[in-house]
Amino acid sequence: MTTPSPKYCPEDRPELSRRSFLKTGLGGAMFLSTVSMTAGLTGCATAPAGRVSAVDSRMDASYQFEFLSRDDIALFEALLPAMFAGALPEEPNQRQHAIAGTIERIDQGIVMFGPANQKELRKLFDLLNFAPTRITLARVWSDWPSVSTESAEAFLNRWRDSRIGLLNNGYIALTKISNVAFYGHDAHWHLSGYPGPPAWAVDALPQFHNA
Amino acid sequence: MSMNDPIARGLASGWNVTDASKLTTDQTVEADVVVIGTGAGGGTTAEILARQGLSVILVEEGRLYYQKDFKMDELTSYASLYQEGMSRVTADGAIAILQGRCVGGSTTVNWTSSFRTPDETLNYWSQNLGLSDLAPDTMAPWFQGREERHTMAPWVTPPNLNNDILKQGCEKLGYSWQVIPRNVKGCWNLGYCGVGCPTNAKQGALMTTIPGALDNNAQLFHGLRADRLVMNQDRIDHLQASAMGPNGVTPSGVTVTLKARHFVVAASAIGSPGLLLRSELPDPYKRVGKRSFIHPVNATVARMPAKVDPFYGAPQSIYSDEFNFKHGVDGPVGYKLEVPPLHPAMAAGVVPGHGQEQRDNLGQLPWMQSVIALLRDGFHEDSPGGTVSLRDDGSPVLDYPITDYLWQGIRQAYLDMAEIQFAAGAEAVQAVHLDSGWYTSWTQAKDAINQLPMKPHRARLFTAHQMGGCGMGADPKNSVVNGFGEHHQVANLSIHDASIFPTSIGANPQLSVYALAARNSNRLAQKLSGA
Repeated sequence: MTTPSPKYCPEDRPELSRRSFLKTGLGGAMFLSTVSMTAGLTGCATAPAGRVSAVDSRMDASYQFEFLSRDDIALFEALLPAMFAGALPEEPNQRQHAIAGTIERIDQGIVMFGPANQKELRKLFDLLNFAPTRITLARVWSDWPSVSTESAEAFLNRWRDSRIGLLNNGYIALTKISNVAFYGHDAHWHLSGYPGPPAWAVDALPQFHNA
Repeated sequence: MSMNDPIARGLASGWNVTDASKLTTDQTVEADVVVIGTGAGGGTTAEILARQGLSVILVEEGRLYYQKDFKMDELTSYASLYQEGMSRVTADGAIAILQGRCVGGSTTVNWTSSFRTPDETLNYWSQNLGLSDLAPDTMAPWFQGREERHTMAPWVTPPNLNNDILKQGCEKLGYSWQVIPRNVKGCWNLGYCGVGCPTNAKQGALMTTIPGALDNNAQLFHGLRADRLVMNQDRIDHLQASAMGPNGVTPSGVTVTLKARHFVVAASAIGSPGLLLRSELPDPYKRVGKRSFIHPVNATVARMPAKVDPFYGAPQSIYSDEFNFKHGVDGPVGYKLEVPPLHPAMAAGVVPGHGQEQRDNLGQLPWMQSVIALLRDGFHEDSPGGTVSLRDDGSPVLDYPITDYLWQGIRQAYLDMAEIQFAAGAEAVQAVHLDSGWYTSWTQAKDAINQLPMKPHRARLFTAHQMGGCGMGADPKNSVVNGFGEHHQVANLSIHDASIFPTSIGANPQLSVYALAARNSNRLAQKLSGA
């Protein structure tokens, strides 16, 4: 997920930024960076959450978040029940465990995305966590912790079906990082009927039997 | 670790390999040649030069991963072996970019398809771009040499069902199909080429040219990012590089200065133009980063009546060139048809969706089959490619606008792929597109696909083949290097990777890169040894 950002290459600049502007129809990058800055200034929690205590969150206190902020975690706690409707366990503890583990793997994945795409995701998350843009662009009226699964589902549908490419792109970014972290995890392979690497090969290969 | 592993054995025998994340102080090193990048181009170059007795230093931004790390696991592999942890996209986010970032580059994670550059492509280059030395006859020995070096041969094991369905559909419709040559030796037919070959069967750079170079005293730095080539008067004096920290993505602060007589850039069609732009090398006609090609890929998925198990077996073994040059080399865009493997994370990332619908889609993964079309971009004036430029942090980004010419090809490819899948007995077919449902007959699919909006983000597009951006040509006004990969303006700089292709290839490009790099490195070795 990226949005057009200011280009280093001076020769191309006027042409590129004009086309990018037309393409996104929203002023794209400039709008998002304004949001990001405003979010920082208004005290949105954009710092990595680090270790989140089990008392004020349902996260596993042993995991150290390197990218996701407390607000981002709340965002995913609201989105994932809609994202994985029909796939998450019903039993409350197992369900919570599956959601928390997925958010941790999302964090781990983003760390490896590197600085440029981290910056793009920071803009996206800030946009979703900053009330004025959450309301105008996502049309989500309450804070994420009070958003129902139905409202989260409606939000995902709106961004998927929007005629604005930038919002489609936001939908793809949110679903892609979540889908990979959830369905790609070995505890969830059964949901896609994937039996895992062939057992005979695992038995025969030295890297699975380190002394 | 098993001593049957050539990398473990080589390291134990004293190869000169430096993990830059372990460096604690800045340093300066020197060699005859510094090669930037360890993929198809860089590996080939390093081995050929080192065998000629030249001292060679290889620089790789990614880390050295080998058999001990290849555990057939998607999440760890995508995070560590791919550019930007598999999150790389074009500037507007509309096209996902799959590209290796590790020792061996994309050859460590590719699906082993090994095609010669099509004659049509070579003839187009020689007739239209002044590259007459690259005609099919003159290139043939170079292809043959590299086919031997990388053990490339048509796959004799029966294809897995995922690939066989492409063959069945083509046969039903009277379309041509062929068996794909693969670069494997003793392949176990497991299906995990894309996450690092677990058995060392894949004969990519990691199992061939990299060990070949290191056995001949080359030095390898991994986890070291090439920041800037620094000129002194009209020659490059040194490369300035930054060590990455232990996670492989955050610089540690330690720098390495690499001095050499000659520099070979082979950092990929995104990385090489990026390095040249950061270095502000002479570029009087503003060609660097222009005409970047990607073989834009679109896909359809089919639900088959029998289990396909698309996660097992050699991922690519059948292809169809029925539509590749159907309208000539420079008519309406042609495309090669192939099959992708589908593992859960890949499938969940590629098939867009959420909620119960997504769960239901992925629940049928064992019955799913997919076909992909690789569009042959760059041969028509309405397919001028994209542009690599620098973000404000200096990292390269590819802007790739999709022209109407390409959209027409994308729609036609959706149609052809769906027709083939129905002909092979699919129960239902879905275009990988935000507006596509599951179609249960070819007639229904045809009507619906003809109505799908061909728009960025709605059509899900991918690229696994990045080419161009430092194009070769006889005329410096429209190219960056000559037909031997020699930079037009800087005498001690060569470029030996897919960035020098003046159009896309029209086939999976690894053999094209190996062959050109071998040819150009032999010439370079003669020049440098004679000097």
